[in-house]
Amino acid sequence: MSESAPLTIDQPGQVASATPPAPGRSRRLSDRWLAGAFISPALLLLLAMSVFPLLWALYLSFTDYSATRGGPAHFVWFENYTAILTSAQVHLRALTTLIYVVGAVALQTVLGFSIAYLISRRTHGRGVLTTLFLVPMMLSPVVVGLFWRFMLDAQFGVINSMLGSLGLGQVEWLTQQGTALLSLIVVDTWQWTPFIMLIALAGLTAVPKYLYEAASIDRASEWFRFRTITLPLVWPLLLIAVLFRAIEAFRLFDLVYILTSGGPGVSTETLSFHVYKVAFLGFNTGTASAYGILMVLVVLVLTQLYLRYLNKLKED
Amino acid sequence: MATAMAACGQDDGATSSAPKAPATIPELTKDPLTLSFIWFDWPPAHALEDFANAEYTKERSNVTIKVKTVPNANWHDAMFTQFAARKTDFDIPILDSQHIGEAVTNGNILDITDFVKKNIDVKAYNPYLLAAYGQYPQAETGKRDENASLYGLPLLGDTWTMIYRKDLIGDKPPQTWDEMISVAEKCQADNPGVSGLAFHQANGSDAAAVTYNTVNGVYGGNLWDAKTRKIDGVVNDAAGQEAMDVLVNKMKPLTAKGSGNWFIDEVNAAVAQGKACIAFNWIAASGGLLDPKESTLGTTREQILDKLGFAPLPSQKTNLVPLGGMGMHVSAYSPEANQAEALNFMKWFEQADIQKKWAAAGGVPSRTDALESPEFLNAGPFNKVYTDSVSRMRDMWNVPEYARLIDIENTNVNAALNGAKNPKDALNDIAKEQQAVLDSSGRKGGGGL
Repeated sequence: MSESAPLTIDQPGQVASATPPAPGRSRRLSDRWLAGAFISPALLLLLAMSVFPLLWALYLSFTDYSATRGGPAHFVWFENYTAILTSAQVHLRALTTLIYVVGAVALQTVLGFSIAYLISRRTHGRGVLTTLFLVPMMLSPVVVGLFWRFMLDAQFGVINSMLGSLGLGQVEWLTQQGTALLSLIVVDTWQWTPFIMLIALAGLTAVPKYLYEAASIDRASEWFRFRTITLPLVWPLLLIAVLFRAIEAFRLFDLVYILTSGGPGVSTETLSFHVYKVAFLGFNTGTASAYGILMVLVVLVLTQLYLRYLNKLKED
Repeated sequence: MATAMAACGQDDGATSSAPKAPATIPELTKDPLTLSFIWFDWPPAHALEDFANAEYTKERSNVTIKVKTVPNANWHDAMFTQFAARKTDFDIPILDSQHIGEAVTNGNILDITDFVKKNIDVKAYNPYLLAAYGQYPQAETGKRDENASLYGLPLLGDTWTMIYRKDLIGDKPPQTWDEMISVAEKCQADNPGVSGLAFHQANGSDAAAVTYNTVNGVYGGNLWDAKTRKIDGVVNDAAGQEAMDVLVNKMKPLTAKGSGNWFIDEVNAAVAQGKACIAFNWIAASGGLLDPKESTLGTTREQILDKLGFAPLPSQKTNLVPLGGMGMHVSAYSPEANQAEALNFMKWFEQADIQKKWAAAGGVPSRTDALESPEFLNAGPFNKVYTDSVSRMRDMWNVPEYARLIDIENTNVNAALNGAKNPKDALNDIAKEQQAVLDSSGRKGGGGL
């Protein structure tokens, strides 16, 4: 270190700015090594907890391996994939999942954006309101599922009690085909609307004020300002929130497990719930791995299409 | 030890890979040892831990008993995911009788045939009870094959009891299933706000399936032909269809609105709150009904008993009742010292005087002398129901595919009960899907769908 100091004296500019000595070759290598050392724990963790299991699942997906039966895994190549893609049982769960994802995410987006828009227009109490709205998101889905299960109970639940006091009849929220999936959507919406609201609020508060001032001077209507300023500027951020929620909703398991167990019959069984049954009721590990890989692929493909659209929006 | 046992393991044809336990209990450790059980969370689990720590430690002061509990819905998964890892944090898995096939086939529990021969007085039991909680391949209903291997011993016997409101339908319980339905119908009509019936309908665990199986048995149906492994054409024959019709079209309309996801706790709650004329529940889970703190039927146990009666299930074409309860088994992956202690515990537990003490502590024993003892019969008003029902019991399948068979039945019966499926279609789907599971052993790929 001390040997490199005189070299900088020959360059007045550097001396004047008290720049540290230019690192030598060995020093640069040392920094790289240091950088590697810093990221290696996280990298190893990622490899061990995510990459290796994913690759292992990929391997198992081509076999007939069963975790409980043990023994060697025999290659069945694409048999698991073919069986899953042609299974009527899987198609039924895929449709249920699709209805759930579209219903829940659409409702959350409309509600979340509306709440954020209303909050953004307030000058007082915005922080308190935002914090209160975020409370459901902080709760464990299992806890949320349990207390909604009590609230939605047809006999003893508070929801039916309230309906009764309004002179309305009892609704079998969790045990009828028509209402069980709707109940799941409502509960998920109750918990996750704040997430959309939070992202939308961040977008809304970032819209430059001068645009609204200019619009006011031009006597633009409220609707015109919303349509031409607010929405276009918040839209890309909102789409990212929708993407996150759609991925989350696609792999819904906990609420189904607690609230309906997939019932009545299998009418609220989502793909994730079905994978769980394949994996742990019959311990068909190979099939469950293929099922999981296919679900990952669906999310990846949809995400790519979505991101391309998002990038196009930015370019425009 | 498990490896050594596996080396000398006996193979039950092509079905068993369970390692063999020694006939004689190995020398027990003098060091402190925790003997761990795994069960689902319900009153008998807590009663067992208290009872064993109070009594077994008198004989083995260095041993602590720990009964690990999981939610009922996770019970199978909690045990078999550990079996899959070939490492368990429990020594004695308390398996449902139907789990035995899966555990034996995968070599997860010890074959205790020789141990039982040398240490257990098998003549002290009703042969079917001994077979139901330990024998594999499965015994014929009501019998035990003395040449078959044993993999467990009874821990808790159980069956359904009919719980009826004496103050609403009279002291005499209905004797036939048809009579029971008409009594419930009249009771419901006469008592607004009280439903005629309450029973298990949920699609988790084995709830709705046991209900259908019970009605199926009473109306002369069969779940399968065990010898030919035939389900399609058996469970959905005329008797099976009649049973499904009775369940969905005659019994379901007498239940409370929204009861389509009820299981043990919800049925008990309905009875305790005076909301049901007649209910069906497992005997081992009925103790709480007599607790005045949990009941609106009276402020003392006596007042509650003035209103609640317990009786064996009504009969119809047959008098079959569902076999409940569980056996205790020894994990093949436990340390040597724990396996030895587990065997010693089992030997200790199956003694006549201990079985009577277990009965007095709230358990349901399996030895005939304990079942007929005053300790058991006086411990609860429903205990005589169990003693009277032992000879009437029928179990489900205990094949390795059990978890999938029960899921198929549960979801379809639940769908029929909640109007999501036509009852006939539901039963035919059960038959078709269960048959496909049994026939899929040689299938390449896609297993489990």
